[in-house]
Amino acid sequence: MSQLQHHIHLKEGDVGEYVLMPGDPGRAEVIARHFDNAVHVATNREYVTYTGFLDGVKVSVTSTGIGCPSSAIAMEELVRVGAKTFIRVGTSGSIQPGTQSGELAIVTGAIRDEGTSLHYMPADFPAVAHYEVVQALRKAATAKGLAHRVGISQSKDSFYGEVEPEHSGVTQRLLDRWKAWEIGGAICSEMEASTLFIVASMLRVRAGGIMVMHGEGELGSLEPLIETAVLAVRELIKGDQNA
Amino acid sequence: MLNDEKQYHIQLKKGDVGKYVLLPGDPGRCEPIAALFDNPVHVASNREYNTYTGYLDGVKVSVTSTGIGCPSAAIALEELVRVGADTFIRVGTSGHIQPDSVSGELAIISAAIRDEGTSKHYMPIEFPAIADIDLVMAIKRAAEKNKARYRIGITQSKDSFYGQHEPERMGVAADLLNRWKAWEIGGAICSEMEASALFVIASMLRVRAGGVMMVHAKEPMPPLDILLNTSIDALREIIAFDKENGRAVN
Repeated sequence: MSQLQHHIHLKEGDVGEYVLMPGDPGRAEVIARHFDNAVHVATNREYVTYTGFLDGVKVSVTSTGIGCPSSAIAMEELVRVGAKTFIRVGTSGSIQPGTQSGELAIVTGAIRDEGTSLHYMPADFPAVAHYEVVQALRKAATAKGLAHRVGISQSKDSFYGEVEPEHSGVTQRLLDRWKAWEIGGAICSEMEASTLFIVASMLRVRAGGIMVMHGEGELGSLEPLIETAVLAVRELIKGDQNA
Repeated sequence: MLNDEKQYHIQLKKGDVGKYVLLPGDPGRCEPIAALFDNPVHVASNREYNTYTGYLDGVKVSVTSTGIGCPSAAIALEELVRVGADTFIRVGTSGHIQPDSVSGELAIISAAIRDEGTSKHYMPIEFPAIADIDLVMAIKRAAEKNKARYRIGITQSKDSFYGQHEPERMGVAADLLNRWKAWEIGGAICSEMEASALFVIASMLRVRAGGVMMVHAKEPMPPLDILLNTSIDALREIIAFDKENGRAVN
């Protein structure tokens, strides 16, 4: 268990129990700036890790790369080196009409519109975020006075299948299913949450996610997103210390 | 179907029920639940759908039985929404999945395995059946108030009672046994027959649904009092939460 993990190149002690998970390796450093005494720990493939402290507790950020295949590897290996609570943080498309760019999506569950989680659990098993992570994220977004929605994410395997479905060989299926997600009330579309939630359920760890949505208008700075995710980690630390 | 008409199956019209509705499976369980309301009145009985309406903390609340299974539960939810209900708590008994469960503990449902046919008529299988987070938290507070032993997690919503209890005699025995093992590995905590369709349809209708079950494990089942009291207190909790947040409760 304490050996250097094959893909993320981390061993026990390198990360805290709380880990933020952006998709983009370049975003790991930006997030780490919000930690106290952040140190770059490892970089291998799309996995970049920094570790620092929040309220005196060790916390980390590890990028997952795009998609469920690389995210599943990141979570499996992070759990093996001691991580227990995960917050996915990143950008996403919006599904409900009227969504404004910059609104936050706090993810309660995910549509398993991808292949990776089928290697873990039958398709009828729900990808659900841990309620304590959902509540911490809501509390953080409310405290910061940021517009947010709480709901379901579509986790897909194809970015261009979403943004240019007409160029696909399965156009009608993509369009019909997108309509279904809208009818069902899903709020955002990204590429990692469902597998993270399924793997977390199986490994008995906590996972949640917060996304900033592209909708109407220009997407501004990601700082409010990152600040909210960091504040949510603080809330979880406080809750765990009181438990 | 016009909303002010009497609904086809549940035989209820607007005004007959409150916004807050408890949903047991068993029609016979409506009366003992309604006995915990203030001024309960029997409103309708048709097929497996039995309804009482009363008050909690001055707010109109109801209990409607769904019958067993997602097909009849889906009809109950659709028609209750048409007559004004928007917040639902499924309440009942369930099997257990985790080996360390004890009979009488409560399962507060966060999401459901869609191991049934009905919800596939509503949404593709990849769409998750998720309980409303505010109801999960309200039920949790109610369970704590009642000093109940509880866990929060995923339920298996199945279409066959005997497929779960006697899988070996079925023509799909290996599949049933393999999938049951998967649910255990995945961390699911209980097994019942209605939650998944209720959650998927609630998402589509933009209403709230949650669930609390008393788990049957190896030991004999205790009386259901702590389950029923928790479900009543959960309604009080969500009503109080809605009042705090400026949401209309009547």
